[in-house]
Amino acid sequence: MATALHDDMFTSDVIANPYAYYGRLRDEDPVHWNDTYALWVITRHDDVTWMTRHNELFSSAVFRNDPKPAYPAIDESDLGLYEYVRNYQADQFIQHDRPEHLDMRKIVHGYFTPKAMESWRPFVVSAIKELLDAAEEKGSMDVMRDLATPLPVLVIAQMMGVPAEDRPYVRELAEKLLYIGRGEYDRMPILTDGMKGMIDYVSPLVDERIVKPGDDFISVLASGEKKGVFSRHQVLVNTSLLLLAGHETTINLICNGTLSFIQHPDQWALYKQDPVGRAKWATEECLRYDAPVKSIQRLASQDIEVRGKVMEKNDRIRWFISSANRDPNVFAEPDKFDISRQPNPHVAFGNGVHHCLGATLARVEGQEVFKALAERFPNIRLESEELDYQPSITFRSLKSLPVTWQ
Amino acid sequence: MARKLRIRVDHDVCVGNAMCETIASKVFRLNENRQSEAVDPAGDTVEKILEAAENCPVSAIFVEDAETGEQLFP
Repeated sequence: MATALHDDMFTSDVIANPYAYYGRLRDEDPVHWNDTYALWVITRHDDVTWMTRHNELFSSAVFRNDPKPAYPAIDESDLGLYEYVRNYQADQFIQHDRPEHLDMRKIVHGYFTPKAMESWRPFVVSAIKELLDAAEEKGSMDVMRDLATPLPVLVIAQMMGVPAEDRPYVRELAEKLLYIGRGEYDRMPILTDGMKGMIDYVSPLVDERIVKPGDDFISVLASGEKKGVFSRHQVLVNTSLLLLAGHETTINLICNGTLSFIQHPDQWALYKQDPVGRAKWATEECLRYDAPVKSIQRLASQDIEVRGKVMEKNDRIRWFISSANRDPNVFAEPDKFDISRQPNPHVAFGNGVHHCLGATLARVEGQEVFKALAERFPNIRLESEELDYQPSITFRSLKSLPVTWQ
Repeated sequence: MARKLRIRVDHDVCVGNAMCETIASKVFRLNENRQSEAVDPAGDTVEKILEAAENCPVSAIFVEDAETGEQLFP
């Protein structure tokens, strides 16, 4: 007899293999009420696509409007800190609905057009070369520490006009901010430490760009204040958001994608025959197969029925990209890593008006990394079979990825 | 006389980001599937239509001169 599924999404089995757990939900109960955390778990591709495109029904103002307490539970003495977290998160532009979201998105959207991001490709290529030169001398590397982490921080720091020597500090703060998707009982002090640190760090940069705008991205955000779209706190929070969002997800794309290639030698062999020609669709398959972001949360804007289940206004909803991307109704042999898959309508970047702002940049970085690895380290393999993931419900993040090629 | 355009939105690619509709609302309209349709290629200036195409985050919009077939975007 089949066993009932437990509702704890933070246990080690679900963190290690989300595909088995959410895949079973997708088959058995695609609109599932998770009683432990009092939220709806959405796992089918068609439902995720439909919901992401109906932003008027599913609110992004999660932190401002969620009437329920933090989950998993936090230390009671940290409730004041949780209020700080809510106020901080609520000022992110992605935590808004239309019409405010559109006004905010218009400020930043033009900077990230596919054409504009293509112009960053040469910078990305040279940054990768520099990082791989250093790794080559050593003969082995931790893909996480030596390539995936420094690369996107380098790129986003360049876009923002942040001094290169500050990169380790920015990463340190970012690691604290990533506790937002985690379950530890005592996570609030670490999280608020990261948020306050970020605000303190970006404040003088913003002050400077308000007075003397340049062609960097902080100046773009600062222009939102002059146009009356952003408050100063919103400029600071969104600068921090883009520093964070611009790298954590890309780290995961690089690590998870590299791991997928290593674990599928036939696909790696195929890829190496033509890394330049295959980079585009191979990167899309990496995004589908082991997506950087596992799930995204919304609140129901009104009572609404989905697949016979009634969601009430302000109910929490979490849709699972990692499950939608393996939906057999959309992808043939969904659990197969197939770099030739075309078209590849994965939802790694979401859909609708909140579709990931940095999608093209992430794609450029992924494509160039996989090209460079194929050309320089064709014999890349794991140094250890043990893989450990961060206990996050939001991100699919390896803790490290040691490889060798000799 | 204004240039006549042929506009195509690739529905395998369109994610319904709706920035095209924001920029050129008479030209692009989301359908019931929340994907963009070019409903009136003459609904705005060539410049606005090209701006909408360029701001598509997934490059789903293709614009050409209807008479000469010259590709204007991408």
